[in-house]
Amino acid sequence: MGANAKKRREPAMSGASSSTASRQQKIQAAAPKRAGGPNRIVLGAVLAVVAIIAIVAGVIVSTRGGSGGAITSHALPPGVSTMGGGLQANNTVTLVKGAPTLDLYEDFQCPICHEFEKLFGAQIRSQASAGKVKLNYHVLNFLDSRSPNESSTRAALGAFCAADQGKFEAYHDQVYANQPQQEGAGWTDAQLKSYAQNVGLNTSTWQTCVKDKKYQKYLDAVQQQAAKGGVTGTPTIKLNGKIIDLQGLTPASLDKAIADATK
Amino acid sequence: MTTTQEPVTRDGSRVSPRVPDAIGLVARLVLGVTLIYAGLIKAGHLLDSARAVLAYQIFPWEIAKPIGYVLPMLEIVLGVLILVGFFTRPVAVIISLLWIAFILGISQAWMRGLQIDCGCFGGGGALTAGEKPGYFWEVARDVGLLLLSAWLVWRPRSLVSIDKALYG
Repeated sequence: MGANAKKRREPAMSGASSSTASRQQKIQAAAPKRAGGPNRIVLGAVLAVVAIIAIVAGVIVSTRGGSGGAITSHALPPGVSTMGGGLQANNTVTLVKGAPTLDLYEDFQCPICHEFEKLFGAQIRSQASAGKVKLNYHVLNFLDSRSPNESSTRAALGAFCAADQGKFEAYHDQVYANQPQQEGAGWTDAQLKSYAQNVGLNTSTWQTCVKDKKYQKYLDAVQQQAAKGGVTGTPTIKLNGKIIDLQGLTPASLDKAIADATK
Repeated sequence: MTTTQEPVTRDGSRVSPRVPDAIGLVARLVLGVTLIYAGLIKAGHLLDSARAVLAYQIFPWEIAKPIGYVLPMLEIVLGVLILVGFFTRPVAVIISLLWIAFILGISQAWMRGLQIDCGCFGGGGALTAGEKPGYFWEVARDVGLLLLSAWLVWRPRSLVSIDKALYG
């Protein structure tokens, strides 16, 4: 072994004079040195705790800043039986025996929902008014992020307030008929109010309902319920709880599906 | 014994640490800015963040929701730590795991033909299809970011970092 090797080896066994102290000195001298600095384990633990506190605090602050605050109304629009449940548009119609439940998940800003309504809307309505299906609307607002003015939410609140006066579907159709060419442009407050006028609502009652955000909590609950039900986009259609594949759906196949689901 | 300022490697050769350290710094900057930005844009919209996780159809809502709610803040915290170079190696390990999770998530969505990040997406047939999602570029981007964080796992030393200030 050369001098180099000896130099690099820990001289643990060298020398006859090894008292424990000097042996330890030599071990420490030869051991790879961490240049001072705070104890890593303690620092790491502190950092982990601070990080977790920061994350939890961030979540709490973000969720509180949502639609909390002064909105206290837990009211449900007519046609809704549970908080977060769908709005049954034909709740005044007597259903035929064994009528299946048809759940429509739509966002007012969604162009594909508009397409769906154009293709299947009338058919679904006539089935509903004949009592052949229990028709539930679930209004989603995830496209709020596509517009600068939370148009999905505002249109939804307008529609629920229209439901107060028995005009949910009429208002719903007005909004879709006036979907902007450019997705994300949304609607102004004035436009939403004009739809209320168009369907013959008492606008001051409607306006108060909207301004007070009477159905905001209900709308929020609908989002949670929809997510729990695995709905990740719109339009989503469920027949008796099962999602219908929209690929290749035709008016005839939809009629057949509804008939088949009628027990 | 050498008398130069440069560190000596095990086999006695002299290697300048400058270039790899500089790479480390660049990696930290890119990762830090990317993560902080990604966290900030989601930070005010935790419900949307959770819905985005749900859209990958891996977890039910009960699990997707907490993941989605925590993810933005987690990204910000990791981004800050890697940016300042504090506990670089462990943080880089966590970040690498994050990229791997994203890559796996996007890849399985791609393979299953899910359509995500298209706003509202419709089926084909009687309806017009939604936009085509850009899975390939998302995966490519995350692979690139994974390479950067993997570098820092392998070699956490970099210029201008708190690790360096504390521990040299």
